[in-house]
Formats: sequence, structure tokens, C-alpha cells
Amino acid sequence: MTGRGFTARGKVAVVGYAQSAIQRHAGRPLGAITLETARAAIADAGLTNADIDGVVTSALFPTAGSHDVQDGVSSVPATWLAERLRGAGAGAGDAPRYVAGFHGIGQIPGMVGMAVNAVASGAADNVLVYRALHNPPGKYHANTMERAAGPAQWTAPQGFFGPLAMIGLPYTEYLQRYGARREAMAAVLVEARKNGARIPWSHWYKRPLTAAEYLAAPMISDPVCRYDCDIPVDGVAAFVLTSAERAADLPHRPVYVAGYASGLPATRRLPLHWPLDDIMDVGAETARRLWESSGVGPDEVDLPQLYDGFSPFVYFWLEALGFCPRGEAHRFVQDGRIDSDRPDALPVLSGGGALGNGRMHGIPQMLECYLQLSGRAGDRQRVGATVGLACHSSPHYGGAVVYTAEPRR
Amino acid sequence: MTARPLPVPDEISAPYWAAAAGHVLAIARCARCGSFALPPDQACPHCRSTDPDYAFEPVSGRGTVRSWTVIRQSGLPGFASEVPFVLVDVELAEQPELRMIGRLLDGPAALEGPAALEGPAALDGPGEPPLRLGAPVRVGFEDVAPGVAIPAFTLAAAARPGEEP
Repeated sequence: MTGRGFTARGKVAVVGYAQSAIQRHAGRPLGAITLETARAAIADAGLTNADIDGVVTSALFPTAGSHDVQDGVSSVPATWLAERLRGAGAGAGDAPRYVAGFHGIGQIPGMVGMAVNAVASGAADNVLVYRALHNPPGKYHANTMERAAGPAQWTAPQGFFGPLAMIGLPYTEYLQRYGARREAMAAVLVEARKNGARIPWSHWYKRPLTAAEYLAAPMISDPVCRYDCDIPVDGVAAFVLTSAERAADLPHRPVYVAGYASGLPATRRLPLHWPLDDIMDVGAETARRLWESSGVGPDEVDLPQLYDGFSPFVYFWLEALGFCPRGEAHRFVQDGRIDSDRPDALPVLSGGGALGNGRMHGIPQMLECYLQLSGRAGDRQRVGATVGLACHSSPHYGGAVVYTAEPRR
Repeated sequence: MTARPLPVPDEISAPYWAAAAGHVLAIARCARCGSFALPPDQACPHCRSTDPDYAFEPVSGRGTVRSWTVIRQSGLPGFASEVPFVLVDVELAEQPELRMIGRLLDGPAALEGPAALEGPAALDGPGEPPLRLGAPVRVGFEDVAPGVAIPAFTLAAAARPGEEP
């Protein structure tokens, strides 16, 4: 591979983590939980707060509702955390030197990419990367707008509003075009919740879902029903990234970043208008960039952790990444072919995903790659997994990161 | 009853809403490349000119359904009394991929058999719901406040060969 290869490939590693409880409402300020989770991740990595000279997040509060964005309560920007990370008595000279936020869609691969770049460039040695998500009181997407200005004027007066309607349109397109039935999606939900039910911090711990329960759930934005959408939660996860050289001296087995990629459509659309062809055509380019960046191909991936904040994304990622042909994912997921308990299956939701954990964005996908490849998955440890892939958001606006147990060159 | 959100016309969009108030669908057309643009972005979405000098040109209002969703819970005020309602993703006849999203005023009955509908849509073949990929639609308007009308769609009869729909 020439020219476009990722020069930081295998040079940056994840060396520690912490995951808070994932709860509907934590009952405590999100900022406090974030600080505790950050400190726990730093300690887990075998480092001290003073070792952390980079702080990166994506602070988006992903609601369409009219909830206040309040730092430390509903959102935790990197500056907010960086100002509070040090111990008492620390001066300005002790502040982390690289503090940054990712502003796009596909927040998890976006912020991991920024952290990798910071370490690889020397902008920071040890970077704390975290995502803090909040479930406000009241309806998550309830909005009181009386006037629709700017981009919203083209959609809200017409009744097109919020991410459920957004995903309902391409999902209908998929079902109609390929003759798929929404009953096929039960296999995805059952698998996500089966795995989420095994994860102690999950909102859905010990609560699997049956296909019958899935199919009995009320529709919200046809063909999207309640269980096709992850449940809003309070939750925080944090990771520490450092160089492969420093990682060798730290307590846990490092997990290396082989590469990452994000997509960006060239076609301008109405706000939240995500036609199926945009998702899949741009998604193919996202996948091409990912393989080019990481030097890994789809056949090598043991743990493709697909994003599932809305269940149709599992179909879209399966097809965009080339695990099955376009239009075939609804058949591919049947008959145990994504069952993480079967050795011959493709375990696309072994970490439970967002459907099996709660609305943690792409954190469950990233965490599963880290836990499995570092050998820290406990009872859920899989044997022989060496290459993981963690997706977030849609193939056309989101992205993915490839993780490896050994550094790739 | 809470009112639906009303559009706030701005420097670019004012002619669109003025035309809509008179039940005319007028789409922005870039003065540089002649392409229709929806939404009319600060830079033309086709030629990327930063001086698109849009002219709003009445269009046929005809299009075809590319997708749909049935809204059963709306986060917006004013729509609680409207659910369930159908949104359609429409490709307008004037230009490939010129897409617009609006309510289908026929309502969820359009997803049932043709017998559930009256009018031209009921004339389609038996058994198949009138709302399907490729179904022809025409623009319609909802008068939501004095001087404010919101573009929407209604199912149109499919054109017979050689006949102007």
C-alpha cells in the first residue's frame, strides 16, 4: 500500500478503561460521574492524573428536544473535565496541554482519531478519551418550538423531526426495495439484548428480550418500533491512549489502533434526510478508507462490532463493510449467523451494542474491542480474537476504528 | 390546542414561503448553473457557487415516492392531534435527486388496500397499497395560519402511456 497508508498504524494503544453504571437516571450530576470515571480509567491504566496531558471527547448532547445544554449536567466538554482533572494545588502549568473536542457525527471514531493523532504527533503523551451521555428529565426528543428558523424551516413545519423519523425513511426504503420483513430484525434485537443481559453495567443487565416481545412493541415511526431504538441513559466511559512504547511498561496488555475512517456525503440534503443510497454509497467509501487506513481487510476481522443505536444500522454496516452483499443483511442475520455463542458465527453484537446497553453511542462497540483484545472480558472472554472493529453512527456520516491485539505495521 | 411550528422566512427562503402562501411550489434555482436546490444552501449544492442568486421558480408539483414513514409519536408541538400521519420522501419531477419531505395528506389509509381510499388513487390495480416506492404524488398545501401554507403531498393517479398526468 502506498501513499495513503496511515503512518500512526500500530503506534498508539488503549491501555486502560473505566465504565460507569448505565442507568436511566443516575441521580447525580453527569460531571461528577465523568470525573470519577476518568480518574478510574487513569488508575486502571497504571497512571496518575498528572501523567495525563491530553483530554479529548465529543460533548454532543444528542437530543432533538428543547433541553438545556449545561456543562457538567447534560454535557461534559473536554475543557470542563480538564479544568477539574488535577488534584488540589495544581497550577496552570500543570494543565493538560492538548484539550480538544470532536464536533462531527460518528463521535466515537472521531474522538479516538483525534486522540491517536495527538499521541502520534507528540501533542500529548497520555490522552484521556471519554464520552458522557445524559438522559434529561421528561421526553428525550420533546420540543416546544413555535417557530422553525434556519435549516429547521424545511422540515419541522412539515412534521419531519427527530432521529426516529430520520431512520424510518431509509428503513422503509430498505424493506421495500429488498422485500425484507421487519420480523427479520428480531434476530438483531434478541442478540443485542442477550449479550447486554450478561454485562453488569448495562441498563439491560439480566434482561434479555424475546422475538415475541420485540414484535409486540408499539411502533413509533413505522417501521421503527420502540425496541429498534436504544434507550436514553446516564452513563460515562473513559479510556487512556498512549504510545506503543510507553504501553509496554503499563500493567494491562495494550490494544493497538490500526486505523480509522469516517464518511462525509457530498450530496446536500434536508436536515436529517438520510436516503438509503446516500448511506450505502458513501458507506462503501467509508469502508474503503477504513481498510486503507488500517491495512486490514474484512476477512481478518474477528470482532466486527457494528453500530446499532437504531437497529437498521446493523444491516447497513454489515453491507457497507462487505460482510454480505447489499440487500442481503436481513437474511444474513438469521439462523444464528450473528450469534456470539456460535464459533462459526460473525459476532457483530457480542458487546451488546447500544440496544443491549443503553444509549452510550459507539462506546459498547469500542469497549468490547478493548476488553476482548486485551484479554479482560472475564466470563465473556473469547478465544483467539485478535482484530476488532468498532463502528459508530451511520456508514455515511459516522465511522469506525480497527483495533488489533498486536501492533500492525 | 398547541399550534404547529411556523416557518421563519429568511433572506434566502422568503420567496419560497411567499409562493407557498399562494399554494404555489416554487423551488430555488441557482443563477449560475441553473440547478434546483432544496434546501437553498449558502453555497449552491451543485456548482458550489457562493453567489447562487437563487430565483424561485414554480415547478410542476409532481414527483414520485422514494420512501415513507408513519409518525405515531411526534416530538413537536401541534402534531399530537395529527398522529398517526404519513411523511413521504419525494423526488420532484424537475431534477434527479431533487428530494423533498412532506406529509402525505391521504394519511395511513394509503398503506392499506385501494378500497380504503376514494378518488384517483383507488383506481390502481387491486391488492397493492397505493403508497409504494415510485408512487406518483402531487404537491398540496396545508393552511396552518393566516398567510402561512406548508407544502405537503397527495397521491396522484398513475399516468397512462401517452397521457400527461
